[in-house]
Amino acid sequence: MPGSRNQCDDLYREAIFAHGPALDRLARAYEADAEDRRDLLQEIQLSLWRSFAGFDERCSLRTWVYRVAHNAAASQILRSRRMKSKTLVSLEEIEEQGGIAARDNTAESIERGQILERLYAFIQCLNPLDRQVILLYLEGMDADSIGEVTGISSGYVATKIHRIKTILAERFRNGGSHDIR
Amino acid sequence: MTYDNSAGDLLNLWQSQSSELIPMPVEKLRQASDMLTRRVYWRNLREYAAAALVVAAFGYCFFKFDAMLVRLGAGLTIAGALLMAFQLHRKGSAANRTAGMEAKSCLEFYRSALVRQRDLLSSVWKWYLLPFAPGMVLFLIGQLQFVLDQPAAHLHYGLIALVFGLTFAGCAGVFALVGTLNRRAAKDLQSQIDALDAARAEP
Repeated sequence: MPGSRNQCDDLYREAIFAHGPALDRLARAYEADAEDRRDLLQEIQLSLWRSFAGFDERCSLRTWVYRVAHNAAASQILRSRRMKSKTLVSLEEIEEQGGIAARDNTAESIERGQILERLYAFIQCLNPLDRQVILLYLEGMDADSIGEVTGISSGYVATKIHRIKTILAERFRNGGSHDIR
Repeated sequence: MTYDNSAGDLLNLWQSQSSELIPMPVEKLRQASDMLTRRVYWRNLREYAAAALVVAAFGYCFFKFDAMLVRLGAGLTIAGALLMAFQLHRKGSAANRTAGMEAKSCLEFYRSALVRQRDLLSSVWKWYLLPFAPGMVLFLIGQLQFVLDQPAAHLHYGLIALVFGLTFAGCAGVFALVGTLNRRAAKDLQSQIDALDAARAEP
């Protein structure tokens, strides 16, 4: 365990240097509002810094960082009145709903900004666990690593990733809408 | 720029976003951490101050009124407020409740947070409503008895019945509403916990 304050500070700096952009994307996926997003990012950084006093290196720094960050964001969901009033759904429910609503087929391909906007809106509809799985998948993590962060079996993560790929392919083909039917 | 849609492209698109993160300097983190500790301290203090206010108000009634039922009711309400303050203290502050959990797996962390909220809501009768109920009932009955003992009370039986009837019904309604809303919220949390348990049980 890091014995001194300096070691915690160094771990924090290392974590932010290596995973800062991913934490930024995570905050954007949890909070659509710019001010709330800034608050969440600060809270994630504070949680990380405080957590390193208990970092025992039983897992990698990356796993630790993602766990702390996702847990801070999940706490935000539990605390936020606005989020409490919003119905969050699972990947399975979305798949059962048949995927996509009516869409604009006029464009063969859509702009990068639009894709990201729709992707964020889609992720923000998901319940915390599925949100964590899709975000970690988008960060390029494999099923085993996602399982380590989230606490669900890698087999189940693989099933979820398969669903995610199907849904994303459907939703983002030729400008699919993010609306849930 | 356009996007031609494949899983790999989507991942590339996601990861290539520009970052707006401004890392917090360590010194600022220390300040924020100290501020958080102070905020928790003041919030706890406010909870105890609210209990102290109830104790002071009903303590005044205890000494002001001679009627036995009013005094008994005031005494029980004070005991209820102290019991509630003790329960709040025992359950700990919101910040302390997640201490040591921040690096647990997401499922474990989220489940324990939901369980904590569910237990708090489903036991609201025990730690928030019931401690106050006996004292409030006795206090109101004592007040009713005090009013009925007044010389001109027989001229206003209708009004007295109306006022006290509405007061009793209002108190009972608030208690029932708080209990029902909390029970409903606890049920919703339980279904989320069940979903997490199902996810955990998946091979």
